[in-house]
Amino acid sequence: MSYFNSLYLFLILPIIVIIYNLIPKGRRYYLLFVNLVFYFIIGNKLIIYLLLTILSVFLCGKLMNKYDNEKETLLKKENDRTLVNGKIKKKRKLVLLLCVLLNVGFLFTFKYLNFFSSNINLLFELLPINCVINVPQILAPIGISFYTLTAFSYIIDVYNNKIEASNSFVKVALFISFFTQIIEGPFTRFSETADDLYNAKKTTYDMFCSGYERILYGLFKKIVVADRVNILVELIFNNYTTYTGAGVLLGVIGYVIVLYMDFSGTMDVVCGTGELFGVKMPENFRQPFFSKNVSEFWTRWHISLGSWFRDYIYYPLSLSKPLKKLTVKSRKVLGNHYGPLISGTIALFVVWFLNGLWHGAGYTFLFFGMYHFVLIATGNFMNPIIIKICNYLHINRKNIFYRVFQSIKLTCLVIIGELFFRANTLKDAFAMFSRIFTKFNLTNTNFLEIGLDVYDYVILLLSILFLFVIGLMKEKGINVREKLNSKKTWIKWTILYLFILIIIIFGAYGPGYVPVDPIYADF
Amino acid sequence: MEDLIEILEELQPEVDYETTENLIDGRYLDSLTILALVSEIEDKFGVEIPTVEIIPNNFNSAKKIWSLIERLREE
Repeated sequence: MSYFNSLYLFLILPIIVIIYNLIPKGRRYYLLFVNLVFYFIIGNKLIIYLLLTILSVFLCGKLMNKYDNEKETLLKKENDRTLVNGKIKKKRKLVLLLCVLLNVGFLFTFKYLNFFSSNINLLFELLPINCVINVPQILAPIGISFYTLTAFSYIIDVYNNKIEASNSFVKVALFISFFTQIIEGPFTRFSETADDLYNAKKTTYDMFCSGYERILYGLFKKIVVADRVNILVELIFNNYTTYTGAGVLLGVIGYVIVLYMDFSGTMDVVCGTGELFGVKMPENFRQPFFSKNVSEFWTRWHISLGSWFRDYIYYPLSLSKPLKKLTVKSRKVLGNHYGPLISGTIALFVVWFLNGLWHGAGYTFLFFGMYHFVLIATGNFMNPIIIKICNYLHINRKNIFYRVFQSIKLTCLVIIGELFFRANTLKDAFAMFSRIFTKFNLTNTNFLEIGLDVYDYVILLLSILFLFVIGLMKEKGINVREKLNSKKTWIKWTILYLFILIIIIFGAYGPGYVPVDPIYADF
Repeated sequence: MEDLIEILEELQPEVDYETTENLIDGRYLDSLTILALVSEIEDKFGVEIPTVEIIPNNFNSAKKIWSLIERLREE
């Protein structure tokens, strides 16, 4: 199921919105019904696991609340606040642990069991031990990596007293199962969207226009750009040995474009759909290619995943008692920058190991995670040295040429990372990487014979230029949609109709084109 | 407050802490500086900063960090 399906976008979604607005009362129940029907259509019987996850976090939240409420009664009995607090904390911790274990269990069974068992079998074969673990191929519930982490954010926030556990099952269920975000995110926090979903405001004309403007923008990225470049990417990645290094490089650059346009385009559709129901979703992309370094890139690309890892893994780990002690000691010896680097790097390693694993059970994803860990850790280590070198050479780091140099360097590093991310196997990834350098052969590469013709290249060039200008405007703090909506009605609608016409005329669909499968839905 | 600004200037000297109100959002303080800052604050002011308090809203300006310290001292 793709959010870009035209039947879904221009028939089913408007019908859902119309019925939603016709209902005078209880729109939240209708929205929950839509969420569950939607998930049942895409996930069939596996909806049971989604329901179990929702139920488990809801009940565990309630249980934590109950323990909190027992505090006063216990205090009257024991009269020792520290003791009572300790007892309650212990009970709450146990509830959290059980809840996390149950849901990690689902995630592990569906997503990682096959990967781990095949590796254990490989180990047995090498040792050699005459034993084979047979695990049947299990179909994972769609979006399990997304909704499990979303559910975790709720229960951890309740545990940390950041939010109060909800007494409404409907509210928790709406938060975890919102149909527009369940397949590809973004990860939201209970404090961000639960109230909007529960209040279920009627759609106003402005909300409808604004929502569909955002959806159209996403549609442009996907249909005009991603689906067009996809032909070339599929050809090259599946038959890389028949192409020169220059051809392979083009394929890898193409994949970065496909990934960015597909995923950020999906997020435009998701956020636009959210707006139709009065739900403001957090942004998942913020012009990532304008970043100065890899570390910043990951605060602008898949932002909600990065912030999830930062809040629930990185800081809790790097500020845990043993690592905090390590920071205090190492700062005395190594100073302010290199002191915290040791505990920061340990936490960073865990984050990127899990980040790689979250993307998929495979060595290409683990390599992808470790690649970024090395890049960011090296960047952290080198930062003071680079500053010193720049100062010594009188290079102004805010200078436009230096910024362009940083962007080019970053883009090259991202391209290499995505090559390993997309390649069919780790072996293929290394072979493709080496081919770029050993068999580049630009003169013998005919770029017009790799799925795209001159017409396609011209459309791509103009589209990317258009998206670059919009990105630049956003970077300068200009709200493009607000600008468009402030125009006179006839100007606004002329622009919108033209945009729709452009998507219809220049969209890459029909015979000869293979639409990109929703890449992140597989995670 | 002066002690706090002293700590901040030692960790990241290139910022005007009297006026800057986007220390985190503007990427003036990165995650490593936050780790150093937390350990320094805990050491100097005798408070323990729980990880749930490490959010941009609490660290975006010197004033906000100071309010956090005062709040944690009262608790």
